Amino acid sequence: MTMSLEVEGLRKEFDGRKVLQGVDLRVAPGEVFALVGPSGVGKTTLLRCIDFLLRPEAGVVRFDGREAPNSPPEQLALRRQIGMVAQNPLLFRGSLSYNVSFGLCVRGVEDPELTDRTLVALAAVGLRDLADAKASNLSAGEAQRVAFARAIVVRPEILLLDEFTANLDPANVAQLENAVTAYHRQTGATVLIVTHNLFQAKRIATRAAFLFGGQIVETDDVVTFFTNPKDERTGAFVRGEMPY
Amino acid sequence: MLTVAGDIVGITLLSLLVCGTSTLIATLIAIPLGVTLGLREVGGQRLLRNILFTLYGLPPVLAGLLVFLLLSRSGPLGGLGLLFTPLGMVFAQVVVVTPIILGITMSVVATVERRVKETAFVLGADRWQLSVTVVRQAAAGILTAVMVGFGRAISEVGAVFIVGGHIEGQTQVLTTTIITDISQAAYGHAVALGVILLVIAAVVYSLLYRLQERTMP
Amino acid sequence: MHFRFARRWIALLVAITVALVGVAVYISLPRAYLLLATTTSTRDTGLLPYLLPQFTADTGIVVRYVAVGTGQALDAGRRGDVDVVMVHAPRLEDAFMAAGDGLCRSLVMYNRFVIVGPVADRAGVRTAANATDAFLRIHNASARFESRADNSGTYNKELEIWAASGLNVSAFGGWYEKTNQGMGQTLTIANERDAYTLSDDGTWYSRESTLPYLGLLHARVESILQNQYSVIPVNPDTHPGVKSEQAVAFARWLVGQRGQNLIATFAVNGHTIFTPNGAGAC
Repeated sequence: MTMSLEVEGLRKEFDGRKVLQGVDLRVAPGEVFALVGPSGVGKTTLLRCIDFLLRPEAGVVRFDGREAPNSPPEQLALRRQIGMVAQNPLLFRGSLSYNVSFGLCVRGVEDPELTDRTLVALAAVGLRDLADAKASNLSAGEAQRVAFARAIVVRPEILLLDEFTANLDPANVAQLENAVTAYHRQTGATVLIVTHNLFQAKRIATRAAFLFGGQIVETDDVVTFFTNPKDERTGAFVRGEMPY
Repeated sequence: MLTVAGDIVGITLLSLLVCGTSTLIATLIAIPLGVTLGLREVGGQRLLRNILFTLYGLPPVLAGLLVFLLLSRSGPLGGLGLLFTPLGMVFAQVVVVTPIILGITMSVVATVERRVKETAFVLGADRWQLSVTVVRQAAAGILTAVMVGFGRAISEVGAVFIVGGHIEGQTQVLTTTIITDISQAAYGHAVALGVILLVIAAVVYSLLYRLQERTMP
Repeated sequence: MHFRFARRWIALLVAITVALVGVAVYISLPRAYLLLATTTSTRDTGLLPYLLPQFTADTGIVVRYVAVGTGQALDAGRRGDVDVVMVHAPRLEDAFMAAGDGLCRSLVMYNRFVIVGPVADRAGVRTAANATDAFLRIHNASARFESRADNSGTYNKELEIWAASGLNVSAFGGWYEKTNQGMGQTLTIANERDAYTLSDDGTWYSRESTLPYLGLLHARVESILQNQYSVIPVNPDTHPGVKSEQAVAFARWLVGQRGQNLIATFAVNGHTIFTPNGAGAC
């Protein structure tokens, strides 16, 4: 069962500075959707609004057509179906296994299933040998891979990726992109990936949207988006004429 | 030596019992409270912090006096019969030690990287699980809080003297005995007890420190 | 899994705490002994560890004591925090009885107050005719004097002597120092500061060896220097919880032949300081 993700009229401001000014977005179930835009335009803010980290001033977020519930236990259940990987993720003090198994523990999964799934997830990102290593000693690439394994080990139905390969070398980027694709193929999850790497968007996503000036300026399938954008601003961005 | 307190073993054991129990009780009160308060983002914090910081400076003798008036037969809790008993001394020390552990825990938890809480939240932790995770990440600082709290308890003399009464065979602890030794000029005995105090502190701290080392990243 | 660890740790801590609290409760409640409030001077003579076990052997009643300042000892009786009071401050005891705080009052024994001071004795106390004369000489020489100034029996006696010599304490100069502390501490201070002070002979003899700069200057038998002890069981009408029967038994034992004999034979560093004069209403 995969879920659709819908955002309507979302507004968010910080200390009077309006960041999101009426964002509308529709991600179909099982779709891989890229959200692009210049730095600081509010892509991360949008993701944080979706994942209950921020409360918007106005607007709705809908999961499978239903608005996010208010009661904490229901909200918790919904939250547990969403996974997020951020840029520069924070790993908990402890081993890699501890980090990756965290989401499973939280959901009450016990041994032997707990250890099995943890090791499988670590293997998927090529870190099974480091399962017992301390998380504090990892390189950026390794940390990002752990964060990814940590997010998908619980099989979220919606996966939010926030520039999650931004600081990595090409080898790590490729590995993580393959992991995303593999996960999507296995589970059919709905994936919303924020990136300012246009090539990445082209490689992984099927549809893309351009966030600019607090709103979604254009939404298209990936091919059209990059070769023949409708909006002038999208075109400027895609051609690299817009400063970051 | 006239009236120098007998039974060093008994006195030492009572010190350990009173200080250990009061530190444990204070820990069980202060850590959950400190974590809950430290995790709260909203204001109303300032008034609480001011009260707490004032309580840091609460002189143990004053706490002792207040507990004395509370526990006296003529006082509101007189029916409990706790004045001049070890349990009364524990009560007094809990009053002194809890604000210390609470304050340090609150500070440590509040300054745990916000991202720790967010990461646990995003990974699906409920309130209890989030608290446990924060405590685990802040474990080193929380252990410091406990160490400082125990230090206060074991070195404290005013409150346990006032509330305990330094009764031979009943409520004599190391610190109060040092005081009466001095008033009787039994300085050698007093120093010996002081050495025992230091040894206790050293042993307890080394245990807690070892625990703390295991919590470092 | 992680959270199960947390639960286990917490359960362990709680279990240990409960166990320790249980031990504390066990040794605290209920109070199985008779609780006596007395003064630090009495404690410092060492009489109680000598006397009380004998009482227990004779009657099976265990007695423990809180040694504090006279004021606090009487107040403990007033509050009902102790069962019986034994102090040596007749005027304060009168007020205590008048207020109805005591059930009955029995005289037990007396020792003496003595005047101690620097060995050089600048003020000439050694040759004074009596206590009043000695105090007069100290005043006239403006010699440093340590006063306990703590509402104790000793302090009240000191004031009595100043009054008897016709002097006004509030007009004294800087030579008159107030320690606000017990006899032991006051003697220590007098020793350090080459000062005179009034002490009970019990504390003096027990501390003598630790006070090298002080000497015993005036130790005469005078009625004004008599330090009279009384025992007063607390009035059960105001505090029904006190162990009244046992307190009265204790008072009677002190005043009876056995108690009085023991008191007469008690010695501090070779000096038998107490004269039993038991009599009373208990």
